Amino acid sequence: MSGASIGKTGGRISPREAGAAPLDVVIGIMAFLAALALGASLLADRAADGWREGLAGRLTIQVLPPEHGAIAARLAAETEGALSVLKSTDGIVTVTPLSEQDTQALVAPWIGGGAVIADLPLPKLIDATISPGTKVDLATLAARLKAAAPDSILDDHTRWIGRLKVLADGIVWAAYFILALIAVATTATVAFATRAGLQAHHDIVALLHQMGAHAGFIARNFEWHYFISALAAATAGALCAAILFSAAGGLELAGIEPVPFLPPLALHFTELAWLAAIPAAAAAIAWATARLSVLAAVSRIY
Amino acid sequence: MVRFENVGMRYGAGPEVLRDVTFVLEAGSFTFLTGASGAGKTTLLKLMYLGEPPTRGLINLFGFDLATTRRSEFPSLRRRIGVVFQDFRLLDHLTAFENVALPLRLAGGHPEDYEKDVDELLGWVGLGDKLDARPATLSGGEQQRVAIARAVVARPDLLIADEPTGNVDAEIGQRLIRLFGELNRLGTTVLIATHDRALIERNRAREMRLIDGRLVELRAGRP
Repeated sequence: MSGASIGKTGGRISPREAGAAPLDVVIGIMAFLAALALGASLLADRAADGWREGLAGRLTIQVLPPEHGAIAARLAAETEGALSVLKSTDGIVTVTPLSEQDTQALVAPWIGGGAVIADLPLPKLIDATISPGTKVDLATLAARLKAAAPDSILDDHTRWIGRLKVLADGIVWAAYFILALIAVATTATVAFATRAGLQAHHDIVALLHQMGAHAGFIARNFEWHYFISALAAATAGALCAAILFSAAGGLELAGIEPVPFLPPLALHFTELAWLAAIPAAAAAIAWATARLSVLAAVSRIY
Repeated sequence: MVRFENVGMRYGAGPEVLRDVTFVLEAGSFTFLTGASGAGKTTLLKLMYLGEPPTRGLINLFGFDLATTRRSEFPSLRRRIGVVFQDFRLLDHLTAFENVALPLRLAGGHPEDYEKDVDELLGWVGLGDKLDARPATLSGGEQQRVAIARAVVARPDLLIADEPTGNVDAEIGQRLIRLFGELNRLGTTVLIATHDRALIERNRAREMRLIDGRLVELRAGRP
């Protein structure tokens, strides 16, 4: 324990710790973990939005090959009919029939390519996109398609979007849950660190009380010390996490995928700004704990 | 100034350390409190400087009955008392100057207002060249003098000193007693707990003695 104090110019009465106390290191590590969890939840949220947006507003129309008759001619006629229905529907902005090669490429991973596929009666696929913000009456569209192409099936991906939404929401809520657990652990750590520090200075609290200092005056002398310590330690921890996310972003920009199969790990600037909430929260917890602990300690003294 | 009526004190379920202690300290008086080790001197002082509540009896301080006075009033009462603790209780991270200035700081004083007074007082107790020294670098006697300077710097209404000359030589001890005497002449009520018979005989002030927790009046005061 050493350092400047009130001096001849006035100032602090509580002691200034020399160097980083072990508990500051703990606060820094907990802030780092909390920042990672917060960043992960933001990434999961963004990825889920991306998945939803990717499928929303898209329609796929399958025109199945008829079972009897002139299969190719009827398939072509029904496809033309479906295309003209789609093109004449308000709100549909693009209508793209998939070429035979594209369709074969889609099934090739499952049943192989070459001559096997060439003989198979594959359906005709049409990809259509709906103008954002526009509502298309899908029941009417499906009926019109049936009239024009009796062997057509309209798929608006509702089933997939629903499943993806459940999956994405699950990931986001899991990230929030982990974040909440780390937040509780960080809160407990900061509170414990602050109380332990104050315990060591109980003699100072008792002496100031004995000399007639009001509880608020004593608390003020300690709370800002713990506020600044926790702010510095948690800022260091959150900064490390921000550097890690930025480094992941840098690797992605350079074309290197740090973690395969996962969405991009780089946080946007606004998302990085959210990490600043962690040191602010840690400092506020330390401040409040120090104040309440000193007030409680003083109230226990006669 | 101070009135004790049938005051008793015990710690937890232990025996009574003080029994039916009754006395009055008039404003501006100078009193020695004597007694063997363990007779209850420190406990009696503790009750007087609001360090502990009594187990029974009435204590009246500056006209306030402590049993009925709100706790929120205690800080202002405590600021009227200067205490020299037997174990000094200096703050290790503060310099001698800062330790002595503490009561003035708590009273809302600004450094520019009290800097000269604190410098002078530390000079008076023989520590003019150790203003910036921290307690760990001072001898026991020097620490005691810093503790005494801290107790008297705000010119308290009541000065309570527990063995204030225990760690200093006779010459410095007499000098410190003169400081207490000077303060007493300015109106401060002084109570000194001591074992030092020579000090008591030289100053011939009122003497109260604690014997097994009971208070006995030995001498009524200055002739």
